[in-house]
Amino acid sequence: MKTLKIILNGKETTAKPDQTILEVATENGVFIPTLCHSTALEPAAMCRLCMVELTEGRRSKFVTSCNYPLRQDAEIKTDTEVIRHGRKMIIELLMARCPDSEELKKLAGEYSANITRFAPLNDDCVVCGLCARVCEKVGGKTLTLSGRGVHIKVNTAFGEASPYCIGCGACVQICPVNAIKIEDIESERVITIHGREAARIKLNHCDVCDKYYGPVIDLTKVMERLGEKTIPPPNLNLCPGCARQKLGKRIADRYYDVY
Amino acid sequence: MTESINTIPFSRMFKPKELEGYRKNLLSKNDPDSPKILICCGPGCQPSGSIEVAEEIKKAVIEAGWNGKVIPQVKMTGCHGLCSKGPLVTIEPEGIFYQKVKPKDVPEIVEKTLLNGELIKRLEYKNPATKQTHSHTKDIPFYGRQTRLVLKNIGHIDPFDINDAIMRGAYSGLAKALSEMMPGQIINEIKASGLRGRGGAGFSTGVKWESCASYPGTRYIICNADEGDPGAFMDRALLEGDPHSVLEGMALAALAIGSERGYLYVRLEYPLAVKTLTQGIRQAEELGLLGKNIMGTGFNFELSISRGAGAFVCGESSALMSSLEGKVGRPRPKYIRSVEKGFQDSPSNLNNVETYANIADIILNGGKWYKDFGTEESAGTKVFSLTGNIYNIGLVEVPMGVSLREMVYEIGGGIPKKREFKAVQTGGPSGGCIPKQFLDIPVAFGSLAKVGSIMGSGGMIVLDEDSCMVEIARYFTHFLVEESCGQCTPCREGLIRMLEILNRITKGEGQDGDIDTLEELGHFMTDFSLCGLGTSAGNPVLSTIKYFREEYEVHIQNKKCPAGVCKPLFNYSIDANECTGCGKCRLRCPVNAITGEKKKPHTMDRDLCIKCQECYKNCDFRAIMII
Repeated sequence: MKTLKIILNGKETTAKPDQTILEVATENGVFIPTLCHSTALEPAAMCRLCMVELTEGRRSKFVTSCNYPLRQDAEIKTDTEVIRHGRKMIIELLMARCPDSEELKKLAGEYSANITRFAPLNDDCVVCGLCARVCEKVGGKTLTLSGRGVHIKVNTAFGEASPYCIGCGACVQICPVNAIKIEDIESERVITIHGREAARIKLNHCDVCDKYYGPVIDLTKVMERLGEKTIPPPNLNLCPGCARQKLGKRIADRYYDVY
Repeated sequence: MTESINTIPFSRMFKPKELEGYRKNLLSKNDPDSPKILICCGPGCQPSGSIEVAEEIKKAVIEAGWNGKVIPQVKMTGCHGLCSKGPLVTIEPEGIFYQKVKPKDVPEIVEKTLLNGELIKRLEYKNPATKQTHSHTKDIPFYGRQTRLVLKNIGHIDPFDINDAIMRGAYSGLAKALSEMMPGQIINEIKASGLRGRGGAGFSTGVKWESCASYPGTRYIICNADEGDPGAFMDRALLEGDPHSVLEGMALAALAIGSERGYLYVRLEYPLAVKTLTQGIRQAEELGLLGKNIMGTGFNFELSISRGAGAFVCGESSALMSSLEGKVGRPRPKYIRSVEKGFQDSPSNLNNVETYANIADIILNGGKWYKDFGTEESAGTKVFSLTGNIYNIGLVEVPMGVSLREMVYEIGGGIPKKREFKAVQTGGPSGGCIPKQFLDIPVAFGSLAKVGSIMGSGGMIVLDEDSCMVEIARYFTHFLVEESCGQCTPCREGLIRMLEILNRITKGEGQDGDIDTLEELGHFMTDFSLCGLGTSAGNPVLSTIKYFREEYEVHIQNKKCPAGVCKPLFNYSIDANECTGCGKCRLRCPVNAITGEKKKPHTMDRDLCIKCQECYKNCDFRAIMII
C-alpha cells in the first residue's frame, strides 16, 4: 500500500491512505484536544475543537482532524495562531454554557480563555453527542439529540422516561463533562439527564447476600446480536461477588476430594 | 370555445422522432397565434384574487357574443413576474398587459378590449419614473430589460397540461439527446456552456456531472427544491409555472450520468408545486417521456417527490440527503463529496431547480450559444426575486453581468415614496448587504463575492433609507438561530451570542467592544463551522459592520437609531415648517397622539406615541422627523 508523506508541525512523518489526521497525530505524539471524540465511535466532528490547518497541494484550509481522511501528501499544523484563537473561542462559548465543568476549566487555563466574556447559561451539557452515539452502538438506542438549533439537547423519545434503557451506563462513562448521573436506589437504577429522570431500570436481587445488583435486562435482543437462539437457563440470582464466592467454593470442594 | 387540447388523447411515444410529429399535430389543432387570455395564478397574484378573476373571465367569455370572431382561450398560468401589481392579465397575441385586475373589471375587458380592440387606460402599467402608461408587455421596462431563457414558458402555459409545454418545445432537448448524443457529449456540452450551479455556491455543473459519472454504483439524481431564503421565490415560480423544464433537465442529467432514479426534494410550504410536479410526472410517464423505456430507447428514469418538513438547513446538500433517507436533517460531518458518496452512500448528483431548468435549452442550442449570454466567468442568465423597498416587486431574469443599478432603478423602477437607496441584500441569510458605492458592480458570482456578499439562490432585497442595518443583521441572525441544526459548537453557540449582543444593541444597551466581539465571532464561525450554513452565518453581521459601522456606533454610543426602526432608540417629532396640517397623520394615528387644527402645524405627544410608523410612512410632505 502506498504511504503518504506528511509534514506534521514541521516534522516529516508518514501516513496510510484514509487514515485520519487525529490518528496520525496521536501516533506521532502530537496532542490535539477533543471533546466529542472517542476511538470506539465514528467521528462526529461536532465540537470543532480538533480543528487543524491543512495544506494539500497549494490549497490551505481548516479541517477537523477527527474525521479528515488523508488521501494525498499534506502539511498539517495543529497549533497555529488562528487555530489557538478558534479553540479559545470554542472554550469560552462552552464555558458560558457550562460554567462548572472541570474538564473545560482545565482547557480554559491551557488556552487562556476569557471565561467571563459571555453571560452564563447554567447548563451542564456541552452537546457533544457522545452519549447519544454510544447509546446507539452499545445501549438500547434510548438517547438522541432532539430539537434544532439552539433548542438541541440530549433527550429520550418524547422527553419521557424511556422503557428501553438497559442501564448499561455507557453514556455516564463517556460523558466528557460528567453531566449524566447514574444512581442505584434500593431496587432500582436511575439515570438522570438535565436534572430529569431519563430512565428507571429494575435491579436484580441477590439471593445469597440479599443485596441489589445489575439491572434486569430482557436478554432477547442481546442473544439476537450474539446470534444465539435461546436464552440460557437462568442461573441462580447471584450478584457477581456471591457468584465468585460460590464458584471458588465449588473449585475448592472438587480439589479437596482429589487430595 | 375552440377544441381544448385536453381532449386530445395521450399517445405513448416509441421513438424520439415521434415527439416532433406529436408537437406538429398539436400545433395544427392549436394555432399559437390564436387569441388567448392568460391570467397569472402564481403565488403573488393568487392571494390578491386572481382565481376569482379567472373564473369571472371564463364565465364572461362564454356569455359574450363573438359574431364569428375566434373565441379566445382562457388559461390560468404560472407567475407573470410583476408580483406587486397583481392580479395580472395578459391578452395574446397582441401582448396587452393589465395590472391589478378585479373581478368587476372583467365585463369591461371583454367588452372593450376583446370585442372591440380598445385599451383600458385605468388598468395599464404606469411607469414611476416617466409617469407614462404602457399597455403592452414589451414596452414595460420591467419586462423589456429581461432576457427570459428559464422563464420563457412561465406565464404562457398551463402548468397542469403537458401538451401546452410540448407545443413550446418541452422534451425536444431530451429527444435530441436520446437520438443523437452520447452521455459524454451531453456532459461536454454542459461544460462548454459554462453553466454554474444556481443554488448559491456556483460550482460548475458540467464538472459535477462528470465526476459523479466517474464513480461506480447506483447513481441518483436529486433536485434541491428546498428554497428557504426569506424573500426568495424563484424555484417556486418555476415549479409552479413550468414543471416540465425541471423534469426534462433531470432526465437529461440522468442520461448523462447514467442514473435511473431521481428525487425531487420539495419544501413543505409549496403544496402547489407538489401538485404541478405530480401531474407533470404522471402525464410525462403516460406519454413515455419519463418512467420506463423512455421514447422507446430503453432508457429508464423514474422520478419521485419527497417533501421536506420545513427545515431551512435541509437546503444544504448533505442534510437534504439525510432527510431524504428518512433521518434527521442534519449536515453530515464528512469530507467525502456527495458525488462520490451521497444519498444511500451512493454517487448522487444534486442540483438546484433553476440549474436543471437551464439544461434542455443548452442541449438544444449548444453550449456555445449559452456561453454568449452573461459574462466570461458567469455564463447565462439568472433568475432573481426582486423584493423590498422597490417599485416593481417580482420575478426577474437577466443575463449575468448587468449592474445592480440597472436591477434596482430600471427593472425595479427605483425606490418608492421619494426615499433614498441604502443597500441591497443578496443571497439570503448567508449573503450580505451591498451599499450604494457598489451599485455599478456587475451581478455575477465573482463580483458579488468580492464585495462580501454572495449570489446565493437569487433573492435580492432592496433596502431604503428607512431600514436600520443593525436590525437587518439582527433579523437574519435571529432567522439563523432558529434554523441552525445545532450540532456544531461555533454555529450554535456563536449565533446565540451574536443574537444576544445584537438584541442588546437594538435595545440601547450596547457596550464598547460589542462590534469587535461581533466581528471576532463572525470570523471564527466562518473558519470553524461544519457546513455551509455555519460558515456563512456570520455574513449578515460582518457585511453590515463592514459597510455601516457608523450606524452600529451611533446605536452603541449615542443610543440612537437614525433610521427610526429600533423603537427604544428614537422619537418622532413634527417639523412645524413642513407640516401643512393636512390631518392625514392625525386620522391615521391609532393612539391619538397627534393633535392640531386643520391647515395648521400639528403636534405630537411623545408619551402617547407607540412608534408604529403609521404617520411617518404616510406623510406626503416628510414633516415627521426622527430625532
